[in-house]
Amino acid sequence: MSDRRAILSRMGPPVLLLVLAGAVLLPADIGLRLDRADSSASRGVNVALDQLPEDPMVLVGFDPDLGTYAELRPTVRALLGDLLGRGANLAFISLTPEGRALAIGELDRLARLEANPGQIVDLGFLPGAEAALVALARGLGPTAAGALVGPGELPDPDMALVIGGNDLGPRSWVEQVTPRRESLEIVAVAPTVLLPDLQPYLASGQLAALLATPRDGAAYRATLELGPLERLVEPTEPSSLAILLGILAAIVVLGQAIGVRFASAMRVFGSREAS
Amino acid sequence: MNGLFGTGPADGVATWVAAIATLVVLGALVGERRVFGWSQHLLAGLATGFLALLAITEVIVPRLLAPLAADPAGRTDLWLGVALVVATAAAPWVPRVVAAVPLSIAIGALAAFALGGAVVGTLLPQLAAAVARPEPTPLATLAGAGAAVISGLVLIGFVHGAPRGRVLATAAETGRWLMLAGLGGWLGYLIFSRLVLLVDRLAFLIGDWLGLVS
Repeated sequence: MSDRRAILSRMGPPVLLLVLAGAVLLPADIGLRLDRADSSASRGVNVALDQLPEDPMVLVGFDPDLGTYAELRPTVRALLGDLLGRGANLAFISLTPEGRALAIGELDRLARLEANPGQIVDLGFLPGAEAALVALARGLGPTAAGALVGPGELPDPDMALVIGGNDLGPRSWVEQVTPRRESLEIVAVAPTVLLPDLQPYLASGQLAALLATPRDGAAYRATLELGPLERLVEPTEPSSLAILLGILAAIVVLGQAIGVRFASAMRVFGSREAS
Repeated sequence: MNGLFGTGPADGVATWVAAIATLVVLGALVGERRVFGWSQHLLAGLATGFLALLAITEVIVPRLLAPLAADPAGRTDLWLGVALVVATAAAPWVPRVVAAVPLSIAIGALAAFALGGAVVGTLLPQLAAAVARPEPTPLATLAGAGAAVISGLVLIGFVHGAPRGRVLATAAETGRWLMLAGLGGWLGYLIFSRLVLLVDRLAFLIGDWLGLVS
């Protein structure tokens, strides 16, 4: 490795961190706005929520993962606030330990911000992976669900809101719950990395709505007017400038790797031609 | 602002611990690997502790011990489960045939549910959705036809070893390149997700910890 490359590889990461930190410090609204994007995903969610009956029961499958929850968090909090504002009763259930850990954190935050406790039920952790989802789908109803998922009774849910990112996300719900409960609409919030996985389900109608990118989430958040429940929403938006700079850095790094590979192939080709 | 911590003294300590852990992990980027290694051990230990706590408080006690204590004679299903757990734990000392039973049930059930769900919930509906059909707009029809063609080419790309002609070989090659393009796109999405996490961590340090952004 040449001296120049060694210095670059050593100084690159801290410089990137400093640049991103500087971008985070700048005001959020400097012309780059995530919510100025295609709002079809946001419209889809609003249509699905508008179709809910009065005081609906929403089953929240809360299974994000720690590595991608930062991306979902503002949208999840806004969506939960929106549902609570619409009078929905939220029943939280997690099928993965990681999802349960994050659910505990969010339930604690909702309690701290004085969300109406009468609208929130914590059904806890349901072990058993796919088998547990099947049992959950079969047990949903006025009487059976209480025995299955915990104390008390869980009325028939009007909608399932699945927060994805972990192994048992929207795809598992579509595969295990939808065939057994076709009337139950599933709205999903998932990280960008799952977009290619979930887009086909949205196109085929197996998902009622999907928010799977920060832009979709920002476009949805921009439509909300929660009034007093605004306190449940994150006060600051993610720094779009920092994200843009990070994307540019990633493109430069990937482009450099491809360029090095291309140059190496050209050298081999040239030496073959010469011999 | 992750908002997972409140404003009490304990929350302040939690913010400091989280900030130090974040700095330690970011320190690996500038070459400080030893402390980063310790943080990995810490994460593994905390995760194990949390799993044990979750298993005891949300599974073993409420779903096994409490029902068994309430109705020991009426819960044969739970006793059967306990027997399977004992057989798994005693695997080194019991005949292989006995030890294989719980493992077989676990793998069989997992495969049955996962495969059954994949066929009923994904394969069949997605095959039906991939069939090109007239859509409300010409562009949508074209997109549907394009998706069907790409699905077909990628499926052909998985054909290996069979005798094939020039057309089939070209289609398979095209399918493989399309699949690679799809994987490249997926890698881009993955990088984007991780990038947002990095920006969020920096925002946590600057906002929640240092208080430089309100």
